[in-house]
Amino acid sequence: MAATIFLTMIVLLLLGFPMMIPLIIGAFIGFYELFNGIDKMDFMVQQFMAGIRPASLIAVPMFIFAADIMTRGHSANRLIDMVMSFVGHIKGGLAVSTATACTLFGAVSGSTQATVVAVGSPLRPRMLQAGYKDNFVLALIVNSSDIAFLIPPSIGMIIYGVVSNTSISELFIAGIGPGLLILVLFSIYSMIYARIKDVPTEPKANWKQRVHAVQQAIWPLGFPVIIVGGIYGGIFSPTEAASACVLYALILEFIVFRAISARDIYETAKSTGLITGVVFILVGAGAAFSWVISFARIPQELLGAIGVDEMGAIGVLFVISISFFIGCMFVDPIVVILILVPIFAPVVEAVGLDPVLVGTIVTLQVAIGSATPPFGCDIFTAMAVFKRPYFEVIRGTPPFVLILLLVAVALIFFPDIALFLRDLAFAKG
Amino acid sequence: MTDKPQPGEHDSDLPGFLGTIDSIISRLESVGLAVSVLLMALNTIANVVGRFVFQESLFFSEEVNRILIVLITFAGIGYAARHGRHIRMSAIYDALPAPVRKVFMVAIAIISSLCMLALCYFSIGYIGKVATSGRILPALQIPVYWIYLWVPVGFAVTGIQYALTAVKNLVEKDIYLSTKVLEGYDDTEVEL
Amino acid sequence: DTWRYAFEEALTDVQGVYATKFKEEIEKNSDHEVELFPYGTLGESADIMEQTQAGILQFVDQSPGFTGALIPEAQVFFVPYLLPAESEQLSEFFRTSKAINEDFKELYAEQGLELLKMFPEGEVAMTTQEPVKQPADLNGVKFRVMTNPLLVETYQAFGATPTPLPWGEVYGGLQTNIIQGQENPAFWIESTKMYEVTDVITFAGHSNFTTAVMANKEFYDGLSDADKKLVQDASEAAFDYIVDYQKGLTEASMDKIKKAKPEMVVNVLSEEERAPFKAAAAEVEKKFIEMTGDSGKAILEQMKADLEAVSK
Ligand code: NA
Ligand code: NA
Repeated sequence: MAATIFLTMIVLLLLGFPMMIPLIIGAFIGFYELFNGIDKMDFMVQQFMAGIRPASLIAVPMFIFAADIMTRGHSANRLIDMVMSFVGHIKGGLAVSTATACTLFGAVSGSTQATVVAVGSPLRPRMLQAGYKDNFVLALIVNSSDIAFLIPPSIGMIIYGVVSNTSISELFIAGIGPGLLILVLFSIYSMIYARIKDVPTEPKANWKQRVHAVQQAIWPLGFPVIIVGGIYGGIFSPTEAASACVLYALILEFIVFRAISARDIYETAKSTGLITGVVFILVGAGAAFSWVISFARIPQELLGAIGVDEMGAIGVLFVISISFFIGCMFVDPIVVILILVPIFAPVVEAVGLDPVLVGTIVTLQVAIGSATPPFGCDIFTAMAVFKRPYFEVIRGTPPFVLILLLVAVALIFFPDIALFLRDLAFAKG
Repeated sequence: MTDKPQPGEHDSDLPGFLGTIDSIISRLESVGLAVSVLLMALNTIANVVGRFVFQESLFFSEEVNRILIVLITFAGIGYAARHGRHIRMSAIYDALPAPVRKVFMVAIAIISSLCMLALCYFSIGYIGKVATSGRILPALQIPVYWIYLWVPVGFAVTGIQYALTAVKNLVEKDIYLSTKVLEGYDDTEVEL
Repeated sequence: DTWRYAFEEALTDVQGVYATKFKEEIEKNSDHEVELFPYGTLGESADIMEQTQAGILQFVDQSPGFTGALIPEAQVFFVPYLLPAESEQLSEFFRTSKAINEDFKELYAEQGLELLKMFPEGEVAMTTQEPVKQPADLNGVKFRVMTNPLLVETYQAFGATPTPLPWGEVYGGLQTNIIQGQENPAFWIESTKMYEVTDVITFAGHSNFTTAVMANKEFYDGLSDADKKLVQDASEAAFDYIVDYQKGLTEASMDKIKKAKPEMVVNVLSEEERAPFKAAAAEVEKKFIEMTGDSGKAILEQMKADLEAVSK
């Protein structure tokens, strides 16, 4: 059954069907085979609903809405102008700033989709204007947003911690090292890219210009204060911060700057709804498909065939990495964690691996998987928001995925990348 | 941009009465989308303000958002189908010659339509199950199935849109992504 | 045959331990095979319940708090200070109670479910940032509760600001001070690491988390008498096992917590300290009757009679 499903899905996908159709047909086949007919297919709809149910998903439309208002109005450009006044003269400076903004925003908002939209929509036009190629820009945005999985607060790590009975605080700290390492490597790659492609720089701004740019950005600087200060300061949950941003954006652009009209607000709400629908129907279809995989115990069967039990620690880490990577290519990351972690738990314990290290590796793989074809929510979001075709969104991906995989392998051989900070904070080792 | 005159956002190609209905549905979808998003923002903001100013969370806030997210998703898919905005991997498709693309597009539209209509049918079955179970939302104390009533409508509207796309491709000379949009991504750069 | 059994917790939590024992018993004594589906692998609580009602799953473990949307009377388990804190009495109550073994069985049957067993998962404790010795200590504390009107009512009565939050946001919420408290049995506080982000655990004896295992009724009624007995025996064996497992479970979990976080403050309230909480909670019983009408009242009274019987 598994082979039929995956094959059908890939064929339909390549033929140019809307992305939801391969997932839906995959689930149809699964239900048909499992229950000998269409009798139980009502429950596909149950899973669609389950997929779009999590309250934390509300942050996605809210951040999209806020970002769209900011981009239509003045806020986004003033913030970028400010950053550019400091880094515009450095080769690759804008790209590094974008990567950093994505990482930071994604880290606190907890939603990689929201990051793709909120940071990507104002910055992409600026990067294109500055002379970067679109496929580089898209890949940079999608992949930098995914570093967010590793930096606390991380819902993936919370789920892993609960399922595997591992300290979530330790996981959070362990994620920071690899997260920053990836950001640094992305930045280095961006600077090399800018040099090779000879992306033009802006003339260096003097301090007077910089002060002016900061003054211009005083009001819009409220956004990072709300998001970063609000969430780390314990004032808002990510969802609440998102709605606070909507409120603040409306006040700024509608009342203070008078940059948008009531009609604009209505249109923005509509396009937010459209993008949300396009992405969430895929989340729902993905949930229905995941249910089939889970119910049919396909992962258990596949892994049973490999014989993980006989491998050493390094071998187990590799199998875990590959399993999560492949799992997240097709299925929602949270579901992958819920299904696979208990399967691997006995083996991890048997070979004496540090569950915090395993958790960090799992989270990294989950991050890679979400940005990796064929199925990846962040790819879908980028397509829906930027209205770019699939291959354009993923064409620039390989160097980023390569960096991510390098870090994944480095983590296996040098666990201290993750565990150093943990040991320091918890006085272990 | 094409140099053909752009049809109005809610104009329908369907003849007579059907066209009127189609364009009413289109209007409802777009108002539904915008209003749901605005209500969601209002509800979430009210919850935050309530928590800070009055030290009181709106206990029903989460359930209201659950209702709205279903509305948004299922109004959104119909709207997206109408405007050719569902995302797809089109590289191989794009490389094919036009006549083959046309055949493909008809097949894609028909199969997509069938999937949506099947899901519409299954969602009615599912709603029936939830309705007979008598489950209620704990905070709002209303039946859970009310949340889902828009689901079959959304699937049906989307299914019909894809069916019309197939028809449109059979009747017209050009290749259409949806009833309103010619293939090619540039056309969709129009702000919606 | 392959029987499928889903529950709301991880494999190593109480529901998972019960399910594992049940599986062992069935597989030891028959050719049937039981596949276990822990939390989230087939959906959330309401999803697995619907799947069981539809016969996709044969067995499900759902706590009455979640069943409240389906069977309002099941919320009786959220009436504070109803169940005894003492564990011998408690397990005896679950074994002998007419309310549970007859009245609830009927209510579940109306929903197409064969109630196999109800069992306690452990005393619910509060975890907070500051010590809680009296209701006034909860004033201004944003306390996370499940989205349930009775729980909201309870913590309002206790003086806290009840804040319904999906559990995925609880850990982060406590860490960033969006909420300052939550309640759960000790094993859950340990396994979900809630203690990492709170400083005080308080046992006020107000509730014991109850859960229920049931089978799809059509499936169960269609079993041969021998298989029915097999299922009943397995539930019984798992119940005995879990009662035994529970002895010292709270202590064991607390030990783990103290080992991981020695500075954790643990307060077990005395009878005198509990009195004002009990007084405040009287309101909640009224609210329960208001919500569930005569049939809820009947269940509540039957439970009180059953409790009377075991406390002698
Ligand atoms: Na994060
Ligand atoms: Na993926």
